[in-house]
Amino acid sequence: MSGPDPAILDTLCAATAEHARPAEAGDEVDGIAPVFVAAPGSTAEAADVMRIAADHELVVVVRGSGTKLGWGQRPAKADLVVDTGRMDRVVEHRSGDLVVHVDAGLRLATLQDRLSPAGQRLAADPVVPPGAADAGTVGGLIATAASGPLRFSHGAVRDLLIGITVVRADGVVAKAGGKVVKNVAGYDLGKLFAGSWGTLGLVTEAVFRLHPRPVVSRWVVVPVDSTGVAYERLRRVLHAQLVPSAVELDRPAGATGTLAVLVEGIPQGVTGRVEKFLELLGDGAEPCDAAPAWWGRAPWQRGDVALRLTHRITGLPALLNALDEQARRHGVPVSARGSAGVGLLYAAVPGVAEPAVIAELVQVLRDRSATWGGDVVVLDAPPEVKAALDPWGPVRGVSLMRRVKDQFDPEHRLAPGRFAGGI
Amino acid sequence: MTTYEPRDVRPGIAALAERLRAALGPDSVIDDHQRLRTYECDGLAHYKVTPALAVLARDTAAVVETVRACAEAAVPFVARGSGTGLSGGALPRADGVLIVTSRMRHIIEIDRENQRAVVEPGVINLDVSRAAKPEGYYYAPDPSSQQVCSIGGNVAENSGGAHCLKYGFTTNHVTGITFVTADGEAVRLGGKAPDPTGYDLLGAIVGSEGTLGIATEVTVRLTRLPEAVRTLLAAFPSTDDAGAAVSDIIGAGVVPAAIEMMDALAIEAAEAAVHCDYPGGAGAVLIVELDGPADEVERQFEEVERHCRTRRAFEIRIAKDDVERALFWKGRKSAFAAVGRISPDYIVQDGVIPRTALPEVLHRMTELSRSSGVRVANVFHAGDGNLHPLVLFDDAVPGEAERAEEVSGAILDLCIEYGGSITGEHGVGSDKARYMPRMFTEADLDTMQLVRCAFDPAGLANPGKVFPTPRLCGEVPGRHKGAHPLQEAGIAEVF
Amino acid sequence: MSEPAFDDHHPPSAALVGDCVHCGFCLPTCPTYTLWGEEMDSPRGRIYLMEIGLGGEPMTPEMVQHFDACLGCMACVTACPSGVQYDKLIEATRAQVERRHHRPARDRLMRRAIFGVFPYAKRLHALRGPLRAYQATGLSRWLRHGRLLRRTFPALAALESLAPELEPYEQVPEQSAAQGAKRGTVGLLLGCVQREFFPGVNAATARVLTAEGFDVIAPAGQGCCGALSVHNGREEEAQSFARKLIDTFEATGVERVVVNAAGCGSAMKEYADLLAGDPAYAERARGFAEGVRDITEFLVEQGSVATRHPLPVMIAYHDACHLGHAQAIRTQPRALLREIPDLLLREIAEAELCCGSAGIYNILQPEAAGELGDRKARNVLATGAPLVVTANPGCLMQLAASAERLGAQLKVAHTVEILDASIRGLAADAVGRSRSGA
Repeated sequence: MSGPDPAILDTLCAATAEHARPAEAGDEVDGIAPVFVAAPGSTAEAADVMRIAADHELVVVVRGSGTKLGWGQRPAKADLVVDTGRMDRVVEHRSGDLVVHVDAGLRLATLQDRLSPAGQRLAADPVVPPGAADAGTVGGLIATAASGPLRFSHGAVRDLLIGITVVRADGVVAKAGGKVVKNVAGYDLGKLFAGSWGTLGLVTEAVFRLHPRPVVSRWVVVPVDSTGVAYERLRRVLHAQLVPSAVELDRPAGATGTLAVLVEGIPQGVTGRVEKFLELLGDGAEPCDAAPAWWGRAPWQRGDVALRLTHRITGLPALLNALDEQARRHGVPVSARGSAGVGLLYAAVPGVAEPAVIAELVQVLRDRSATWGGDVVVLDAPPEVKAALDPWGPVRGVSLMRRVKDQFDPEHRLAPGRFAGGI
Repeated sequence: MTTYEPRDVRPGIAALAERLRAALGPDSVIDDHQRLRTYECDGLAHYKVTPALAVLARDTAAVVETVRACAEAAVPFVARGSGTGLSGGALPRADGVLIVTSRMRHIIEIDRENQRAVVEPGVINLDVSRAAKPEGYYYAPDPSSQQVCSIGGNVAENSGGAHCLKYGFTTNHVTGITFVTADGEAVRLGGKAPDPTGYDLLGAIVGSEGTLGIATEVTVRLTRLPEAVRTLLAAFPSTDDAGAAVSDIIGAGVVPAAIEMMDALAIEAAEAAVHCDYPGGAGAVLIVELDGPADEVERQFEEVERHCRTRRAFEIRIAKDDVERALFWKGRKSAFAAVGRISPDYIVQDGVIPRTALPEVLHRMTELSRSSGVRVANVFHAGDGNLHPLVLFDDAVPGEAERAEEVSGAILDLCIEYGGSITGEHGVGSDKARYMPRMFTEADLDTMQLVRCAFDPAGLANPGKVFPTPRLCGEVPGRHKGAHPLQEAGIAEVF
Repeated sequence: MSEPAFDDHHPPSAALVGDCVHCGFCLPTCPTYTLWGEEMDSPRGRIYLMEIGLGGEPMTPEMVQHFDACLGCMACVTACPSGVQYDKLIEATRAQVERRHHRPARDRLMRRAIFGVFPYAKRLHALRGPLRAYQATGLSRWLRHGRLLRRTFPALAALESLAPELEPYEQVPEQSAAQGAKRGTVGLLLGCVQREFFPGVNAATARVLTAEGFDVIAPAGQGCCGALSVHNGREEEAQSFARKLIDTFEATGVERVVVNAAGCGSAMKEYADLLAGDPAYAERARGFAEGVRDITEFLVEQGSVATRHPLPVMIAYHDACHLGHAQAIRTQPRALLREIPDLLLREIAEAELCCGSAGIYNILQPEAAGELGDRKARNVLATGAPLVVTANPGCLMQLAASAERLGAQLKVAHTVEILDASIRGLAADAVGRSRSGA
């Protein structure tokens, strides 16, 4: 499509109370310039927008606050950016039921502020990408299934999401789940949409289960100067009965690493558990009242190559050694950080490295990944790097995934090509 | 046009039996009429259908072989584990094959270091915890039938249990499966690491009630045994008081491992069955269990006790050892079957309401019971609002079964009215498919079935369950560009 | 159309069948379900077969096969939250099967042979000589490990492989006097297999009872209690045995009859049901049944007075099905064993699961019994205890044979033998017997 068709723009404006416009500089999706931007204010408006897109065969990319818009493969095309910014209500907070119903465009930080007075929180703290003021919107959290330290104790967003409202590619509004934590009626579409990167439909509303906000939070940090020590300390934490809320490893390139444990709860319990962790972790372990500066933040800088590395717990040493080896071999610093107790690390490689070098590095990691039992995904990278490799790598069950995509989006109009397996 | 409607394929069954007997061995295939009849129903015994054939699979290859044979012959198949489901999810098809996993019961691996267990689907839930215990771990989801229900069944139903309030359901604990698709292909999804690349197919499969395919190997998360477990049993004059205590406990920010409530009638039944010796004269009892680090548990336990007393608990017992703790739970966990002691027949209902609506809903249920003359005993996971009303009747008295059925349905309507769900853990199965349209719009159900069409376009995997009306998989929304990719791939015809 | 499975003479009760709510809690405790994972070989499945039989399905060989495969261990009765009386159901069903089902010739011969010998102590006694001679030749060991016998006649092979190393015959006198202050008089059932294959158990029982202050009367003319017959559907035969036994003990005037074989005890406690239809015996049977006590049950009821001497040995206690499941006697034997200084008691994993002995099951269904025996023996060996203690002669034989098959050293003893050893102050290595005599 070349140039915004005024007739289409008119219908988009009519559908969104005049919140549609031609795309302008800054609206690019990973370097792809869209034609329109529309910001529906409700599920109903969003349904109208999606129907218009279907009628005019517009390729749609959904945008929240844009903190992770560049993640994944660059979509083949983007005619219409659906901006969820106007859908920002807390629809209902049932504090007695520990449940909240929100619009997808609501910022997570805003949501947490709203929940705080009731002594509650959404136990999701997705990593904050560099340069971002916060962790973005609820919709972005669901679309990317990003997670952070609390993943260790509370699971991923899929585990907190109990209800979802989506608009399909054909504009049909559908919901699954509900407003109660325990519910097995029908398929759990929330799980399918969590981490679907906007390729199955537009998430407009979500219902989450909440948790009580801990009275106190303290950290115990211990330096770990080798892969072996890091793993050994991690094991101590995992097999203890001290129930940490998070266990994070930070391993800056060329510097001593740190293992940090978050202990939350009531003061009477936390104090004792911090003591026990200090004893358990031994020499160099220290208590802290505040999180380390790196806590919950992605290890990369803008323009770096951002990796998501999964591993089984025992695979941690093999993974870290492989990263070190590749760093040495190519002479590029590789830093890693993340939820080692879960088996999910983020790593950063400077974006200035040659795309071919990065492609080779990624390929070698993928070839060896069976030794740590996980996947190697390039979340974000400069365009020339993305062009030089498959950011997602091999996918098990990809034919089933394609079949799912074909059912939900038979015309492949939702962020085509952005997701794994070319979906 | 081809539809989901079951075709009469009985003539083909003999050939299918022959093929499977040759491939799997004679003792894996059952076609004797009387033997087949013992597979007529699962734990929900008022629906009965004799399967055309039953296959006792020993491994993934046997399931692949069977499903492939079914797919080629266009014969529907239904998977069954221990046959304890309470929604008729494993109800056979008269024209279909029942694939039984009760012989696939090896615990392949207890992997302490990775905090995972790898098991075959016929492994009994409790056996996973038993096997992990020496390592200091257990498998957290604990359906009341955990001593008999299978992991495969748990995966199909996304089973919950008393301790799911704190620890989540099956879906939160399954990290990998080997899955046989409806066309008979074995696919491995996930494993011991989190977040396998791509769509969360595991999330879609767990809880899909066997309508997408069959899990033949399951990797589950193991949870560290808590340092301390404290359990109390509190007796209250009424369910109102007990319900208020639950609200206070949760409102105080305590997340118990479990809070279970039983009303007077349920207590009477449990007492008759297992002599659990609950306090006499109670209108309701609560079982509250806290677990975790000893200091916290101790402190919060005091708090729980205080809340119970404030809400007029007239007797509080604290389990002094595992034996007593087991006795507290015994009454609760055998409550369903125990109702057989006080009523010739009964319906086990399973609905969910927002927990704060508990007192109101209970009052309306009492009203319902009074106006209909049908007795209703109540057992529930009070922490998460999951009700298990037991609707009592005597089938020998004409009209009673119908009245009970009405009351049971009206309870589900109440759940929906209060924004809850028609099933919290038993599943939709055969029993509740007809209630689905009360909870979901046509578009909701249609959208869910897109998943089904992706996995099983021919509609052979456990057809007739979950959805009241099957979607015709040819009717894909929107427009196609060129040939359908599945058609291209030779996977499906355009219907 | 063939005729329905059951006729009107005591068919399995439709009301009892209706008590089953199909919850499946019985499945994992059922030995045959554990072995084969088949619904029709589970209590729930068998009740279902009874139900369809009552509904008009004919008694086919397939149906009978699943009833026959039941060990009658009653673990399901313990497990059932709905209180289904499976024991009554399977007994009624077996009686119908015996009357109405025509078995193949080999099965008929086998059963006739068993029921012509086992319930008769004299006939069993007559076998002792040849058996001892045969064991002495070493032929037995060769046959046990060879496949020939097993292949040609598996049931006979099982019988052979179970037969214990014969121990010296000890006759319990008809009257034994209490030591010290007399606390009462009791009758003692000697049992058939117990008397012939484990005479030491009866002798120990008499010694313990007298040491605890009881006169013991063990009528010499006592016959079989009928347990094997009643558990295998031979109703009339069982009734006849029961009447004779009641007559015998009534003549002695004792109020309590003490039993040391779990299978016998559980059958005798059911005499009221067995003879309910006999006007001449119904009332007497009820009175008699009320007076029946397992030895451990009786000793705990009465309280111990005899001094227990230290017995430093580690013991795995195995619940005999007819004691644990059928009589709900689990705590008493453990309590008695714990009274013994220096004795270490170990629990066996899968305690509820039958060892496969189950009366004559190991003779009629040797393969299933063998698998169950091995499974039980492995669980016993896993406790690390060198000695397993239980309350039934069948279990003793089965456990010893299974351990031997696994190539392990395991001694077996009856609970009362341990008590006897402690009271007499015997050395720890003097208790228990091993099968090979090694």
